[in-house]
Amino acid sequence: MLTMNNINKIYQTDMVQTHALRDFNLQVDEGEFIAVTGPSGSGKTTFLNIAGMLEPFTAGQYILDGVDVGGLNDNQRADLRNQKIGFIFQGFNLIPDLNLFENIEVPLRYRGIKAAERKRRVEQRLEQVGLASRAKHLPQQLSGGQQQRVAIARALAGEPRFLLADEPTGNLDSLMARQVMELLEQINREGATIVMVTHDPELARRAPRNIQVVDGQLADFTLYQGNPAKVVGV
Amino acid sequence: MFLHYIDLSWRSFKRTPLVSLLMVLAIAIGIGVTMTSLSIHHMMSKDPIPQKSAVLHHLQLQTMDEGQSYFSKDDLPFQVTYQDAMNIQNANLPYLRSAMYKSGFSVHLNSPEQKPFVEEVRLSSRDIFAMFDLKFIYGGTWTQQQQDDIAPVAVISKSINDKLFKGENSIGKSFYLDDIRVQVVGVIEDWITPVKYYDTNNGSFDDPEKIFIPLSLGITNEVHTWGNTNGWKNEQDDTFKDLLVSENLWLQFWVQLNNEQEKQEFGQYIMSYMKQQQSLGRFNREELDYNLFNVTEFMDYRGVVKHDNKIMVTLSFMFLAVCIANILSLLLAKFLRRAPEIGVRRALGASKRQVFYQHLVEVSLLGLFGGVLGIVFAQIGLWGVRVSHGAYDALANMDVTMLMAAPVIAITACIVAGLYPAWVVCRTTPAIYLKSQ
Repeated sequence: MLTMNNINKIYQTDMVQTHALRDFNLQVDEGEFIAVTGPSGSGKTTFLNIAGMLEPFTAGQYILDGVDVGGLNDNQRADLRNQKIGFIFQGFNLIPDLNLFENIEVPLRYRGIKAAERKRRVEQRLEQVGLASRAKHLPQQLSGGQQQRVAIARALAGEPRFLLADEPTGNLDSLMARQVMELLEQINREGATIVMVTHDPELARRAPRNIQVVDGQLADFTLYQGNPAKVVGV
Repeated sequence: MFLHYIDLSWRSFKRTPLVSLLMVLAIAIGIGVTMTSLSIHHMMSKDPIPQKSAVLHHLQLQTMDEGQSYFSKDDLPFQVTYQDAMNIQNANLPYLRSAMYKSGFSVHLNSPEQKPFVEEVRLSSRDIFAMFDLKFIYGGTWTQQQQDDIAPVAVISKSINDKLFKGENSIGKSFYLDDIRVQVVGVIEDWITPVKYYDTNNGSFDDPEKIFIPLSLGITNEVHTWGNTNGWKNEQDDTFKDLLVSENLWLQFWVQLNNEQEKQEFGQYIMSYMKQQQSLGRFNREELDYNLFNVTEFMDYRGVVKHDNKIMVTLSFMFLAVCIANILSLLLAKFLRRAPEIGVRRALGASKRQVFYQHLVEVSLLGLFGGVLGIVFAQIGLWGVRVSHGAYDALANMDVTMLMAAPVIAITACIVAGLYPAWVVCRTTPAIYLKSQ
C-alpha cells in the first residue's frame, strides 16, 4: 500500500539545514492500522505530510498503491491524494463557512462526482458518524468531538484506501477521544488502512502496529497485538 | 465547478463585506472614470453612418495657385468655391451629390402669437436627404423643378415641426426665414448624429441643422454662410456677387459613389474638370490634386477626435491602473488570510490550478459587481459632462458597446489585479497551515 525507501527531507534556510527525515524506510500493507509515536520535533508530522503528498521530499522513493509519487506533477499528486487518501487533523480543519454537508462534499467535488452521487455519499457518511440530523449545521455549532466526527466523515466520503490521522484526538476530552478512536477502529475493520500520529500512549497501544520516529528515523517499533510489524531498514 | 466557485466567491464576499465593498468601490470608481472618458471618445470616433460611410465621399479640390499654402496636412483646402460647387453640382453626372453650406435665420410665423427664434439652416441640393438617410415623416424633398425654379420651399425636422405647427402634418404650410416665406414640403425625423461629420468646419460635435432649403434659394436671396470662409487670393469680394465668382472657399461638397468604379470615374471627371478650369485661368499649378475621402477617412483626416481627448482616455486608464494596484494589495491580504482554508482544500484534493481558478472566479465576480456599479458612476459622470458642456449632449452617452465593455474591462482589470494574489495563494504549502489551524 505504502512504501518509503530512503526518504530524506531537508528544510533549508539561509544558514541552517535541518534533516526532518533521514533515510526513512517504511512499508505499510493494506488494511493495517499503525500508530506513529515519537517526541515533538522528531519528524512524525513531516512523515505524515510526505505520506499525504502535502509536501515534497528531498530524496528517496515513495510508492503509494503502486504509483511512484516522485514522478508526479502537482495535478497528478492532487488527483492521487483525492482518490487514495483521507486526512484527519488534530484541529479538525473544517471550513467554517460551509455546513457539515458541504464540508463533507468538498473532496467529492474535486473528484468531479455528480450531485446526486455526492448527496448519497455524504448522507451515508453523516449517518455513519451519527450526525445525519446536523447536516445543515455550521462547524462552530458543534462540539469538538462532533467536529472531529465530521472530519472523519469527510475523510471517508471519497472512499479512500488510506487514512492519515494527525493527532486525531489531540483536542478532545478522553470520552470523545475514545469515541473517535472506536470510530477509527471500526473504519479499519471495514478495510481502510490507517496511519495515525499520536502522542497518547493509550491510543497508540490500541493500534495493532506501533512505530516510533526519533530524529527523523524509525528508531524502534513495538508490537502490541495482532499483525507482524513491517519495518525496513531500522 | 464554475458555479461552485461562484458560490464560494459569494460566501467570501459575505465573510468580509467591508473589504469586498471597498474593492468593488475601487474598481467601480476606476471604471466610472474610465468609461466616462472612453464613452465620449467612442462616440466621437465611432462611424456616424455605418450603413453609408463607405459610399459618401467628401470632395476637396486643390484650387489654390502654385506656391499658396493651406493649413491642412496635405495643403488641400477643406472647402470648395461656389463656382466649383455649382459646376460639379450641375454637371451631367449620375451620382447623388450636394454642395452645401450653413447659414441661419430668425424663424417665425409672422404672427404675434409665435415667438421668433434663431435657427441654423442648411442650404443644399435635394439629394442631401437620400444621401444621408434622413427619414421623412411627412412629404418629401423638394423637386428638381422647385430647385431649378428657386422655389421658396423647405424641409423641416420633427422638433421644428413640433415647435411651429404643434406636430401636425405641416405640408403646404408656410413659415418665415427672416423675410423669406417658405412652404413646408417635407418633415423629417430629427437628424441625430454624435459627430457633425458632413461639416466639421465650425465644431465637429455641433447639432445638425433642423431646417433645409435649396441652395439655389439661398444664393438668390444672398444668404451668407454662417460657417468659415477662407480666401487665399487678393481679389474683390465686397458684395455677395463678388463672393460667388471669387476663389473664396466656403461650401462643402459631398457625393455618393457606390463602388470603386464610380469613385474612379468621378475622380477622372474631377481631373478633367480641373484641366478644363486651367484653360480658363484657374488652378494655376503643375500638379492637379484633389481628395475624395469617405466618411471615416474624412473624420480621421480632419482629426475629429482631438489629441487632448486621447490623452484624457490614457489618463483615465492610468487612474484605473491605480485602482487595480489598490485592489491587488487588498486581494493579496484577503487571499493570504484564507491560506489555511486553501491548505485544507489542497489536502482534500484541490490542485494548484483549481485553487487558482477559484480565486480568479472570485476576482471576476468582484469585477462584475464593480463594472455594474461603474456603469452607474459613468452615467453620473456623463450626466455631469452633458450638464456642463451642452455641445456634448449627443456624445456624452454610453451606447450598447460601451455598456457591454464596462463589465468586460472591469472583469479584465480585476483578473489582472487578482493574478498575483491567486498565484501566491495557490503556491502556499498546505502542510504549514494544516497543523497550525
